[in-house]
Amino acid sequence: MLKLPLIKLEMNDRRRINGPPGGTRPAVFASHLESSSAADRARRERQPTELRKIFLKTGLIPSASGSSYLEFQPSASLAAARETPKSLIPPSSALKLACTVHGPKPLPRSAAFSPNLVLTTHVKYAPFAARKRKGHIRDASERDLGVHLETALRGAIIAERWPKSGIDLTITILEAEDDRWWADAPDSHDASWGMMNVLAGCITAASAAIADAHIDCLDLVAGGVAALVSDDSGDSSTTSPRLMLDTDPAEHRSIMSACVVAYMPARDEITELWLKGDSSKAALENGDARSAHEALIDGAVDAARGAYSVLGDALRESVLQTIQS
Amino acid sequence: MTAQRQASSAAQTPHLSAAELSYLYTSLSLPNNPIRPDGRSPTQFRPLAAECDILPGTNGSARIGFADGTQAIVGVKAEVEKTTLTADTLDARSLSLQSDLGPSGDGREGTEGSSAATGGHGSWVQMSIEIPGFRDDDALPVFLAEMMRESLVGSVGGKDGDGIERGMAGGLKGRLVINKRWHWRLYIDVLLLSQPLSYPLPLLSLTTHLALLSTKLPKLKSQGEEDPFFDDDWAVAEYLYPRASAGLKFNPSQQVRPPVTLLVISVGENVIFDPNREEIAVADAVLAISVTRDTESQGLKLLTIRTIDPPSRLTQPGVPNSENVNMLGATAPGESVAVLNPATGEEEIPGVWRPRRGGVKRSVIAGMVKTVLKKGGVGEEVLAGLEGVQVG
Repeated sequence: MLKLPLIKLEMNDRRRINGPPGGTRPAVFASHLESSSAADRARRERQPTELRKIFLKTGLIPSASGSSYLEFQPSASLAAARETPKSLIPPSSALKLACTVHGPKPLPRSAAFSPNLVLTTHVKYAPFAARKRKGHIRDASERDLGVHLETALRGAIIAERWPKSGIDLTITILEAEDDRWWADAPDSHDASWGMMNVLAGCITAASAAIADAHIDCLDLVAGGVAALVSDDSGDSSTTSPRLMLDTDPAEHRSIMSACVVAYMPARDEITELWLKGDSSKAALENGDARSAHEALIDGAVDAARGAYSVLGDALRESVLQTIQS
Repeated sequence: MTAQRQASSAAQTPHLSAAELSYLYTSLSLPNNPIRPDGRSPTQFRPLAAECDILPGTNGSARIGFADGTQAIVGVKAEVEKTTLTADTLDARSLSLQSDLGPSGDGREGTEGSSAATGGHGSWVQMSIEIPGFRDDDALPVFLAEMMRESLVGSVGGKDGDGIERGMAGGLKGRLVINKRWHWRLYIDVLLLSQPLSYPLPLLSLTTHLALLSTKLPKLKSQGEEDPFFDDDWAVAEYLYPRASAGLKFNPSQQVRPPVTLLVISVGENVIFDPNREEIAVADAVLAISVTRDTESQGLKLLTIRTIDPPSRLTQPGVPNSENVNMLGATAPGESVAVLNPATGEEEIPGVWRPRRGGVKRSVIAGMVKTVLKKGGVGEEVLAGLEGVQVG
């Protein structure tokens, strides 16, 4: 009789050969950490209101009715680390994701009648996208991202023009943002901050892909992130945290609270808002009467306006290309 | 497919006709004085019955039933777990500390290490929600669980030096730390007993809050970096969130309390709390706002805001008489004139329902948050009401 090895039965995919469930990363030696902890730290070299450059291109996947590819500019510290490598571990990672739209197509016969376009969103990290490996089955954070994305897009799509039909929107994240600098210990303000940047990128890319699929929208939706960060190495309670746009979590010591919005500039409306973190102790500059959460939302909207200009240019470029060819 | 659609939207869209939706919207959007179907004031919650400590096998539990028959039970269980120091959680300081001190180091140095061992980790709180008719990996339960968990682990207490005395420095995460090598893991299991008649968030959040308030952890007998050893007398167990009777130093408004997530909708220019199923179906915007008590100033502080997809986007539009073939010739020429709805910025014919589209203005969000946070506002009222439920 064939004897099968005893496998720990978990909810994971047994049809594929999976890698180890934990993180796989190069060994870190204590001596190395001591020498490098301060110097190699990724630092923000942009102004607080300066955004990272975005690469966005539509129509790269021919089999889909609409598609887009988005990339954030890697931080300056990564470029420096590549030129003069001191460590095997890159100091930060930048966002890279691909988005496809299939449809509008008729709903399956078994589905109930819908007077509106049914939008299904699916966000998946590639197994190698983050420092910690993701499984093949979507986990809670990926489903959560999917719901956020759906909320963001459903407000923009004019859904009553496609009764009884649906579109499927799939996003594959090829490289995700870090939640913190790789050698930092999670402190009391630790949370999945990288996920918020990922969501902002997802929204911008999905909006481009939907426009590429020629689905009517009220306006293009752009995603933007703003955060209150405190960068001091000592006790962070003494100095007040500062508002920064488009934060890369690897570049900051501690993020107090962050906000991501999906924003439609033409109507000045927010279709999706996700704010988290304790912003009660944050004091803004003098003369700013807004409360911290209002400042965060305004900051995220400003970041989204920046992404919107890229979105518009990318779509104009793709339209010109189709006209010329 | 249907289940998928329901799962992702705010709630199952009730089967209301376009005329009913329009009627509801009009009465709820009356300036300054909305008329709700059940006669409540805009900030009034549905009547509810609550009890604590109902499950003897848990560390803390609660049950809340709304008058419409929806009920939820929450059980909180705690387990001692070894803190694994992976490369993720190591930094240079904690490494050098370990090599210098060895196992004999007492608790004082541990506080300087500022590693995961003192700060706590968000993944130590696990939350699962079971809703009848939904698979546990459907979008709605996952979304609700993430929403409540993130405000729970996100609340950070005062960052004072005397963290041990206040008991709750670092919020819930900090409270779960036993010593550098051991911590508590908290399982919060939420069970909705009835069909989700309305969006279940307020019910689940209030029940979770009560269950956490009644949660007790056994009293620690060991000290410092010893392996944890607990008092087996359940009567001396300590509350997870210290109560007024335990620490006489603080007045109730300064105690750390678990957050509570409120469901707020805007209809026209009105802000309405705890919407029922019919009200949420015509909402212009739906927000879930988590607040907790601010331990330093006497007010409330905001923890999270999330937009929820309003089900009004999925409804069927009404047809104005002027476009209806059956009504041809029966309409007066001036009857269906579109007017601008100032709240949504869309042209609408009065009395004819149109599904919402677009998003929400920033001023509306600011107004909704302000209503929750203001002194003597809804947030304080809810927290005070929950405090009143007898524990033990």
